[in-house]
Amino acid sequence: MSSQDAPNPPRRSFLDALLGLGFASSFISVLYPVWRYVIPPASAEPATDSVIAGKITEFKPNTGAVLKFGTKPALLVRTSDGEFKAFSAVCTHLDCTVQYKPDTSQIWCPCHNGIYDLSGGVVSGPPPRPLENFQVNLRGEPGQEDVVISRT
Amino acid sequence: MATWLRNLIGPAHAGRYVLAGAALVLAVSAPAAAQPAQASGCETCHQDHPLPALSAPARAFGQTDVHRERGFTCVDCHGGNPNETDKVRAKAPATGFKGKPSGQAVIAVCTRCHSDATLMRKYAPKQRVDQGAEYATSVHGQQLAKGDTKVATCISCHGAHGVRLVSDAKSPVYPVNVAATCTQCHADPEHMKGYKLPDGSPLPTDQRAKYEKSVHYAAMTARNDLSAPTCNDCHGNHGAAPPGVGAVTNVCGTCHGVFATKFALSTHSQIFDKGCVECHSNHEIVKPTDALLGTGQSSLCVTCHSDGDNGFKAAATMRAEIEKLKAAIDRSHALVATAENAGMAMDEQTLALREAGNHLTLARTEMHAFEPKAVTTVLEAGLGITAKVDAEGQAALDEVSFRKTGLAVSLGVILLVVVALALKIRSLKTGD
Amino acid sequence: MTQQVFAWLDERLDLSGLRAFVADKTVPKHRHSVWYYMGGITLFLVGVQVATGILLLLYYRPSAGEAYESVQFIVSQVQFGWLIRNLHSWSANLLILMAFVHLFSTFFLRAYRKPRELTWITGVLLLFIMMGFGFSGYLLPWNELAFFATKVGTGIAGAVPLVGDFLVRFLRGGDDVTGATLTRFYGIHVAILPLITTVLLAMHLLFIQRQGMSVPPSVEKREKAGEKIPQEPFFPNYVLHDVMWWYVALAVLAALSLFLPWELGKKADAFASVPAGIRPEWYFLAMFQTLKLIPSHVLGFEGEMLGVLGFSAAAGLLLVMPFLDRHAADGRPSKVITAAGILAVIYLVVFTIYGYLAA
Repeated sequence: MSSQDAPNPPRRSFLDALLGLGFASSFISVLYPVWRYVIPPASAEPATDSVIAGKITEFKPNTGAVLKFGTKPALLVRTSDGEFKAFSAVCTHLDCTVQYKPDTSQIWCPCHNGIYDLSGGVVSGPPPRPLENFQVNLRGEPGQEDVVISRT
Repeated sequence: MATWLRNLIGPAHAGRYVLAGAALVLAVSAPAAAQPAQASGCETCHQDHPLPALSAPARAFGQTDVHRERGFTCVDCHGGNPNETDKVRAKAPATGFKGKPSGQAVIAVCTRCHSDATLMRKYAPKQRVDQGAEYATSVHGQQLAKGDTKVATCISCHGAHGVRLVSDAKSPVYPVNVAATCTQCHADPEHMKGYKLPDGSPLPTDQRAKYEKSVHYAAMTARNDLSAPTCNDCHGNHGAAPPGVGAVTNVCGTCHGVFATKFALSTHSQIFDKGCVECHSNHEIVKPTDALLGTGQSSLCVTCHSDGDNGFKAAATMRAEIEKLKAAIDRSHALVATAENAGMAMDEQTLALREAGNHLTLARTEMHAFEPKAVTTVLEAGLGITAKVDAEGQAALDEVSFRKTGLAVSLGVILLVVVALALKIRSLKTGD
Repeated sequence: MTQQVFAWLDERLDLSGLRAFVADKTVPKHRHSVWYYMGGITLFLVGVQVATGILLLLYYRPSAGEAYESVQFIVSQVQFGWLIRNLHSWSANLLILMAFVHLFSTFFLRAYRKPRELTWITGVLLLFIMMGFGFSGYLLPWNELAFFATKVGTGIAGAVPLVGDFLVRFLRGGDDVTGATLTRFYGIHVAILPLITTVLLAMHLLFIQRQGMSVPPSVEKREKAGEKIPQEPFFPNYVLHDVMWWYVALAVLAALSLFLPWELGKKADAFASVPAGIRPEWYFLAMFQTLKLIPSHVLGFEGEMLGVLGFSAAAGLLLVMPFLDRHAADGRPSKVITAAGILAVIYLVVFTIYGYLAA
């Protein structure tokens, strides 16, 4: 059974066009996600054991900052002599978030007035245990370093 | 010359100067060098005495004893002549032998050294020397002064022979052991018979049982937190007495400062004689729950407040607001968990919910001022956080839906290709 | 434009032989020729696995401390990471399903008979390798279910007589399932098994190209009787048909990712207690359920050992099937073997369902 070319071409070419369109769009719907996938996302790696707090210039002496470390807050303190210290910001009493008090140079928990010193040790108030200490490292060009907080 | 030295030497003994010299050498050299004391004459008989009541003390003293380790011997408390092995001569009245001191005599024996600042500086410079004076102010001291010998004296708690430092874990006054030591008497109904509270009711003997149900006991035993309070932290050590009216808040406030401050500013501080104890009890201090607040069945507010009065309304408001935030946090957590399990990053939101939880803690503290407005302010801030988290969680779930829509569209495209291919194949076949 | 590229290559590499091969190649068309596509679908899914697997490799970290977090990172931070991961997980399951379908269709159509014994053997080995891929890959997200499933699964290896303990230690990288197991499984999953697959698959495909498609014994009989079996041109008919089936498989994958997205689960905790109803993936479920039913001691032998040996024996029989069913080559396929095959399918289906319901 041979069919004539004449009556069929329009249908055939429509079909071919449809097929071409289908192939093209299916290729795009594969290639586009793959392309987006291989481009690294904003945060380059899973933040499990370390986090970049910021640039060294963002932290003035005798200030503290609470930032995210995984799912828990961490406290970064820059002492008056410029040294960096980092602790878990979770108060060991009832889990409130602690903060740095520049006037006394101590770490304070607003919930029940727990006070910690700059080694994380308890000075007064209800906290039963010291704050967990983290390590701080500076990484990069001098003057422009990243401050990196990591678990010891 | 000191009376005790004269008693030691004896009034008209021939060899008194020799003895005096020897005693002086002993007294000066041995203790000052803080050497453990050598076995003395007393122990030659008392160590192996057939009567346990007479041998046990000597044996105990021979083992771990803080006084012996610093060169003190039997005679320093009991008097007598350590160089005599003959029973009668060793304990002749002339030797200053005291025998077993009891009652007020115990206090005298102990404070002879322990209230002497110059002496104590040689052994424990930072140790206090006013225990005797404190004791005199205590219930025990006052009863003793009246002639009641059933009360505790120094040796009841510290022991007499085999005394250990307070920091020694086996000492009866080591923090973990204090409750057991105090309740040796205070939990014994026989011993405590006849003693009454100021209001006339008998002195309770269930304090220890109650204390062992408390959070303070749990902190000390389960979490090894030696700073947790035991009997002496609230009642005092040597000046032991109940805190008394108006003082309870201060006592609790030595640790629970924020609560005490807020409570002191509230109307309740004027009304509650027993301060914190009114709601939290004194010995059986259990973990407080939100159920204590409010107007429900298990709440404490309704003990005094009834429907219609301001306190009732305040209690209802504060409790309702706290419950509102708790429910909001739970809902937000569930939403975040769903989004996270679906593959969305919810770290920031989890952190924010922790902050919302902090607001609950702050609210529960604030509540002790019994001022609904202050509590509500804190809770509203918390609700602001949960609202933001809810919005972000919902946005995450919307993103998940969006992705699903995208997938559905791709599915449509794929099926289109399948159909087109099927048609193409069929057309090829008919074209053959 | 494709013509121009082809011409350019032809000038340099002389593709006339290839051209002739493709132009002349035909595929038989008969009642059972739909089963011819099963292998192609399986191959397509292998391709999907390789592609998505390589993409996942770019972000995955094979250590106990980072594996779960890296998968979480992929699905939540990497653009379309959720899609790649879903496709990889679902394609794995679909791949093994199609491999079994391909196995049973070639089995019942006696495609293993002479001269295609080697094709069969490489194919059966590939099936075992695919199940090995599934088992090793399942652990990699390091979630609770995977951890305990691996613990149970590797524990079963201990039932093998004589070398059981060695096998367990070898698989686990130690006495227990730990980070060492994860790293080892990772190496097996991304290097060792792919290498073996490449070799076996190349052989498998080469043999097929060399020998062409097998026809069922009934069709062969008609052929021998002089009947001309209709043929379909390989290019473009069969190829388009093949591609269509690939798109169907893709559609199924997209639908599965859409309606049953893969979850992260909870991070593995070695000290947590085994979750109730722990069981392996469905393709091991029939075996697992059977082992659970065997009594702990049978005739003085350890029940588990007998079970493991039994399955090993079955696998061995499967491998040497061409030599057991010799007369299939003469057009007299063994009815016993057909019956055994039907029973095997029924057993696998029933026990897989049973395994699901029992949990």
